[in-house]
Amino acid sequence: MLIIECPYCGRRDQSEFSNGGEAHVKRPDGSSEISDREWSEYVFVRSNTKGIFYERWVHSHGCRKWFNCVRDTSTDEILKTYRIDDTRPKLKDFKNLVDTPSGEPELGSGNFTVKK
Amino acid sequence: MKELKTNSSSFVNFNQKISFLFDGKKIFGFKGDTIASALLRNNINLVGRSFKYHRPRGIYTCGIEEPNALVQIISEYSEPNTRATIKKIYEGMEVESQNRWPSLDNDIGSINSLFSPLFSAGFYYKTFMGPHKSFWKKIYEPIIRRAAGLGKPPKEFRALSSHLHHNVDIVIVGAGLNGLLAAKSLINTNHDILLVDFDNHLGGIINNSAKISSIDNQSPQEWVKSTVEAIEKSKNIKILKNTLVTTYNYINHLIAVEDKHVGSRPSENKVNNILHKIRTDHVILCNGHIERFLSFQNNDLPGIMLASSFEKYICRYGTLPSKEPVIFSNNSNSNSLIYSIINQGYKPKAYIDSRSGENIEPELFDLIRKHDIPLYTNSQIKGVSGGKRIEKILIEDSTGGLSEIHSDFLCVSGGINPDVHLFTQSKGLLDWDEKDLTYKPSKPFQPTITLGSASGQFNLEKVSDEINEKLKIFKNKVLDTQIVLNTKESYQIEKLWEISPHKSSMWSKSFIDLQNDVTTKDIRQAISEGFDRIEHLKRYTTNSMGTDQGKISSINALGIVSDLLDKKVNEVGTTIYRPPYAPLSFAAIAGRNSYEFYDPERKSPIHQWHIDNGAIFEDVGQWKRPWYFPLNSSESMHDAVQRESKNVREFAGVLDGSTLGKIEIKGKDALSFMNLIYTNSFSKMKPGSARYALMLGEDGMVKDDGIISKISEEHFIATTTTGGAATVLGCMEEYAQTEWPNLNVYMNSITEQFATFNISGPKTREIMNKVFPEIDFSNDAFPFMTFQFHNYQDTQIRILRASFTGEMGYEIYIPSKNAAKIWDQLHSFGKDFGLIPYGTETMHLLRAEKGYIIIGQDTDGSITPIDLGLNWTIGKTKQDFLGKRSLTRTDTIRTDRKQLVGITPSNKEDQLTEGQHIILNQTIKTPTPMLGHITSSYQSPTLGHSFGLAVIKDGHSLIGTKAFASTPDQKTIPIEIVKPVFYDEENKRLVS
Repeated sequence: MLIIECPYCGRRDQSEFSNGGEAHVKRPDGSSEISDREWSEYVFVRSNTKGIFYERWVHSHGCRKWFNCVRDTSTDEILKTYRIDDTRPKLKDFKNLVDTPSGEPELGSGNFTVKK
Repeated sequence: MKELKTNSSSFVNFNQKISFLFDGKKIFGFKGDTIASALLRNNINLVGRSFKYHRPRGIYTCGIEEPNALVQIISEYSEPNTRATIKKIYEGMEVESQNRWPSLDNDIGSINSLFSPLFSAGFYYKTFMGPHKSFWKKIYEPIIRRAAGLGKPPKEFRALSSHLHHNVDIVIVGAGLNGLLAAKSLINTNHDILLVDFDNHLGGIINNSAKISSIDNQSPQEWVKSTVEAIEKSKNIKILKNTLVTTYNYINHLIAVEDKHVGSRPSENKVNNILHKIRTDHVILCNGHIERFLSFQNNDLPGIMLASSFEKYICRYGTLPSKEPVIFSNNSNSNSLIYSIINQGYKPKAYIDSRSGENIEPELFDLIRKHDIPLYTNSQIKGVSGGKRIEKILIEDSTGGLSEIHSDFLCVSGGINPDVHLFTQSKGLLDWDEKDLTYKPSKPFQPTITLGSASGQFNLEKVSDEINEKLKIFKNKVLDTQIVLNTKESYQIEKLWEISPHKSSMWSKSFIDLQNDVTTKDIRQAISEGFDRIEHLKRYTTNSMGTDQGKISSINALGIVSDLLDKKVNEVGTTIYRPPYAPLSFAAIAGRNSYEFYDPERKSPIHQWHIDNGAIFEDVGQWKRPWYFPLNSSESMHDAVQRESKNVREFAGVLDGSTLGKIEIKGKDALSFMNLIYTNSFSKMKPGSARYALMLGEDGMVKDDGIISKISEEHFIATTTTGGAATVLGCMEEYAQTEWPNLNVYMNSITEQFATFNISGPKTREIMNKVFPEIDFSNDAFPFMTFQFHNYQDTQIRILRASFTGEMGYEIYIPSKNAAKIWDQLHSFGKDFGLIPYGTETMHLLRAEKGYIIIGQDTDGSITPIDLGLNWTIGKTKQDFLGKRSLTRTDTIRTDRKQLVGITPSNKEDQLTEGQHIILNQTIKTPTPMLGHITSSYQSPTLGHSFGLAVIKDGHSLIGTKAFASTPDQKTIPIEIVKPVFYDEENKRLVS
């Protein structure tokens, strides 16, 4: 289970939080004319990143605040959490741990000898 | 029963005799004995039958690694698969052996052994294929299930267990020599430390063997005592005894289970198990090593035991399982066993070592010569034979000559492995050590340190150097501990995994997994069938998939496979040890979250009234809601609902709607916010008015409905469905915070703060006038769909005039603490007007007659407001709201979508049933195209016949046509597709 740092309350157990999927997905303004494709991209399509991923969490059993989080999906390491109105941290600020040729993390990948 | 010299007399109290029942027979042991040590004391070695072949099995080890001696504890709610080697006895304990019938001695299932070709690797997949598919389910599976298996499920009982959370800096797992030394070096440092050990006696190897002669010039036992005292006195270290770390999760999260009733009957009123959930910055693993066995013919017979376990029975429990065992080893770890046996005044019948003479330690040679013990070097055991116990041992010497020894006991050692289970659970990587022939921890994935034999450092004299080096980061005290050994040894081993049999017979088997009855032949067969990857091989043969996870045998399997494939063991790889380290009971995992605490029950403020008035309850989410109110015990649900519905239509009825979600929304931008959340437009609504509204997902599908009351431009009250309350509030919060943070708006749930009573029926106004005489309920003063605040005595109440049932009615909101008073008032004044309470079933019936949908029953996440015919709820002029753009997607504007319609049977006496498919053909010829299905159906007392709501393709344009509803017995009922309103289509009754 993860330990997540709520930007408002501090470090708490994952059981207090709910995941809200990918972050920084802009909702198209209702007044603008957009195609079916653009709208369905917003409603249905999310990236499935292996490595550094920007996602949303809500401290549902705490302060009820939504916030953003940068997590390495291959190691589950949480690299940063920040408020919803903070600017998005740049990708190059983080060291991408996924650097093995097959895309597997160097550590913790299960049956290592066979995969090599 | 001869008493022996033990390492510490405190393990077993020879002054306190204890009796317990084993298979109904009274057995005596001493306080501190395990089931296994007590049985061995009584020379009982047959304790169970094996999983598949029902072979006789004995006690193989002296610890948690035990594969064979699993028993059922009848006196503890029939707890199955308990390891006899760790479970302590108490007076009156009842123990039964497992997987045998009618008795352990005469087991009919042992005939399986003769059919063993049937049970070879993959036999489930291959043998029971024909003659028909149903044979597996009906014949083969039940037979196999009865024959194969371990214990029987326990009886239902209410466990007393709880959870404890810890947040510490360092956890030391294992309080053996290394764990104690590590803790000692950290006494009174600035680290918060938990020292966790599975045993109730700390000291590990010091208690289990005679290897160590002295520590810092003290006897090992004295050293343990003084060290434990020093640790207990420290300010920063807490010791958890009888606590097994079962799980090592990500971010140093450890799960450990503490047994609070060791050596006593489970308490009826105190906690018996504690599940410790531990968060820590660092973990120091000192959980030692496990000895492995060797595969040879009939290596499973009772009377065979691991060498170090034999020594453990001597040192810990003061019992000698045999006075003259034969010892067979390929390594130096078993040397101390010979020393221990001689120390007790006995000697082994023979010592067989696969190593050649020059590789055997000179000290051991001297000891063996001095005591004149028959020695076979460079020799192997080809196999053993016997019935329910070993009788003869066949030895092959270096020249290939065979000789036989008669013996009823054999100690085996195939080498030792660091106990890497927890280390691999933490995702640390292992490396194969070609010299010590075992996997050792190499690269940790988390802040994990391994010490001593857990790290593959088997030299006891070097432990303090290792601790000084590895714990430097904690600024610990430097240790200079002098350890003197009885048996001079640095671990030395020769490769030996299995010995091929001299002669094979049907009954003779060479096992690689004792618990799952996997033989070395199964491994060969699996490889010849192409299962040469270790993970495939494991699943195909079920090797190491028992509850012991192959603790004494999985490395042997890797060795055998690597030889068969002619690969290095490192290339074969290892399977992954998964949590838990040893089985832990569901009771411990559940803790207090069982029975009524498993999921909280939510009750309305007047729940007691419902009970007193005979309500039958229905679960709606976590809520308990009155389903219907039978007049007496003979009134059926159908009759009660018909009576209640009729009564509401003719007179009046009141429903406890307190469970419906209520959300209060306030803020300068509340109006803009509500316009964005709901489909409706609230801009032109007058303050004090209300409106039925729909909430959509961004995909345009109906998510929830409710009535929105506009108190002012800056204040709204929304009601939601009972089940959707949390989701709706969550959705509002999400959008307010993430999409429109510029809007000044706040929201909160007031569901539990206010009780809600829905009163409706033609007599409602008269009742309301009586209960609230100061309020004017006339149509002019209180029109349909308006909301008013009033005072009732000293309480502020809120009244909404709306209709839940199709009759004129009011929804009264009262602060929960005053709810019972008003509810009583309604009934005492309403009695004369025919007012009755009604439940949710009647509510559904009345609503369905009006075509009022139930979210989640008539909708399923694929229905738009247009599909429901609720176009009028959509604010056409609004620029934006949740899901607006989706309503004009190519998929949502299709005309052949499933749409809501009403259904009536053409023959009025026919009954419709929810879930029935609507089809166009009278006779069913598969495949028959299906238009849709009936989502709700009821027998209406008002209409006098059955009716239903349905979602069917292109339903709106099919209204007025005929179709058929299919029945489960392939028949059809002729139906008419009608508008989804069956009662008062002009809404005259609502505004009356």
